[in-house]
Amino acid sequence: MGDTVLVVGGGPAGLSAASGIAAAGKKAVLVEKEDKLGGAPILSGYAKLVPSGEWAKDAIGRMVSEVEGSKNITVHKSTTVTKLDGEVGNFTATLSNGQTVQAGSIVMGTGFTHFDSVNKPEWGFGTFPDVMTTTQMEQMVGSGKITCPSDGRVPERVAILLCVGSRDRQIGREWCSKICCTVSANLAMEIREMSPQTDVFIYYMDIRTFGLYEDKFYWKSQEEFKVKYVKARIAEVTKSPDGRLLVKGEDTLVKRPIVIPFDIVVHAIGMDPNEDNPELSRVFGVGLERHGYIERAEHYTNTCGTTKKGIYAAGAAYGPETIDDSISQGRAAAMRALSDL
Amino acid sequence: MATYAEMQQVFEDIKDDFRYDHELNGCLNCGICTATCPSAQFYDYSPREIVQLLWTENVEQIYDAMQEKIWACAQCMTCAARCPFKNSPGGLVAIMREVAIKHGMQSAKDVLRPFGRVMLKLITTGNQLSPDMIQPDHFPDWGPNIQKVEGNLKTLRKAIPVKTLQTTDTAWEVSLKTSVEMYTIWEMTGVLDSLELMDENLFDVIDDFIDEKREEYEDWLEEQEEDDDD
Repeated sequence: MGDTVLVVGGGPAGLSAASGIAAAGKKAVLVEKEDKLGGAPILSGYAKLVPSGEWAKDAIGRMVSEVEGSKNITVHKSTTVTKLDGEVGNFTATLSNGQTVQAGSIVMGTGFTHFDSVNKPEWGFGTFPDVMTTTQMEQMVGSGKITCPSDGRVPERVAILLCVGSRDRQIGREWCSKICCTVSANLAMEIREMSPQTDVFIYYMDIRTFGLYEDKFYWKSQEEFKVKYVKARIAEVTKSPDGRLLVKGEDTLVKRPIVIPFDIVVHAIGMDPNEDNPELSRVFGVGLERHGYIERAEHYTNTCGTTKKGIYAAGAAYGPETIDDSISQGRAAAMRALSDL
Repeated sequence: MATYAEMQQVFEDIKDDFRYDHELNGCLNCGICTATCPSAQFYDYSPREIVQLLWTENVEQIYDAMQEKIWACAQCMTCAARCPFKNSPGGLVAIMREVAIKHGMQSAKDVLRPFGRVMLKLITTGNQLSPDMIQPDHFPDWGPNIQKVEGNLKTLRKAIPVKTLQTTDTAWEVSLKTSVEMYTIWEMTGVLDSLELMDENLFDVIDDFIDEKREEYEDWLEEQEEDDDD
């Protein structure tokens, strides 16, 4: 009772928090709604991670093994928290499997939901089989072969459209999803490596390969892999009579509208707030900020805090976040949660 | 050539429009407006360029764009529907056009001149187009189909199954009272002032017409009173 932290969510942030709590000699109860641990990188089948270049199943898989092998961690899969009573130092959580958990504090590593591209119908997702999302392209890279879903041919040209479901007031998504530029540069290099005859074009509004990702991903993709970057937001994706996709945009640096044929169009989908956030907010009594992510407490002296005492958060629950930073924040939240025991 | 002060004033008038801040939030320079713009496919016109000029307050280039470019916009507003910042380049063009008229710019006069017949009909009757305006030399785009509206218009109108009120010089019958009220609206909203700036001859014709109609209406009112007295 006085030695347990409840961790909600088994993605990078939650796994890291649970393992940190266990390492400190305390007990963690990890509740995951899906039937396996690992979060988005495992559930969505990501390929090689940024920036390590390690396969997701190996890197995140290691985190999962560590947690599942720890005697201090109890894992509940396919389970959610349905009710929370008590306060800091003495919470009682009721789980959907009927069990209850006594915990002194709570870490929410509840993550995000991938943007659903059907909300931007003009970009052809759901209409044309050769339009796909970055997660689907990651899966294709993971499968070892880049081909057009429509007829299995090897694509001559692939377009990656950035900011799909990000930086778009038309659909109420006024945030930058932070990771998609670097992920797309990484993905473009993976495509070029696996399929050297395929040219890759990236359509962008701004390139945000922040920090050390600049040369390692943005420059490298151009210098070593000849990935082309066009400053344009695409107006629409249509189909030409020969079955190829037509991408209509303005090359804003050349200043004329252009229509270019492609074989595959990839949507670099953004990070929405977890679709369960309204429910999580209700059950845990934590506030949401105006975009729908979990509201962050004053950061300088209440790191990883939420609007409720004794409940902490980490990773993409707070807003778009990288895997590496989610892992670091998971540890930081664990530190905070431990101090409440 | 306009002085810098004049060009500055044109920009101030655009910026002071009550819609301006609503139509312009900033610009990410993504080009989706120009990519989707039907006019940009055919003319030297780019909605992104218009937004950029306004956002960067480039008064000389704004003035220059008002000489020709802004008149290429079809006001379809697809740009506004697509802009990730929810700007309305088409809405900004509408403001610029109104300011061009207010400043009596030659470009506005040149663009509006071919619409004289429509303006006359619209301002005097409230109808944009009437059967008697559909004449072969004005509608080359109809091709051979124009034959179908040649002949006795009154008879042809009767053949239309829906109610047409049998008028040929308007699309529907406009009551005298409605017309006079409409003239007051044109007057009070500044439409007639704009017209006077753009086409003085047309304004004179319309102004005389309005005076006549108003007299007619006064006479009619008097008749009514007399009838009531009886």
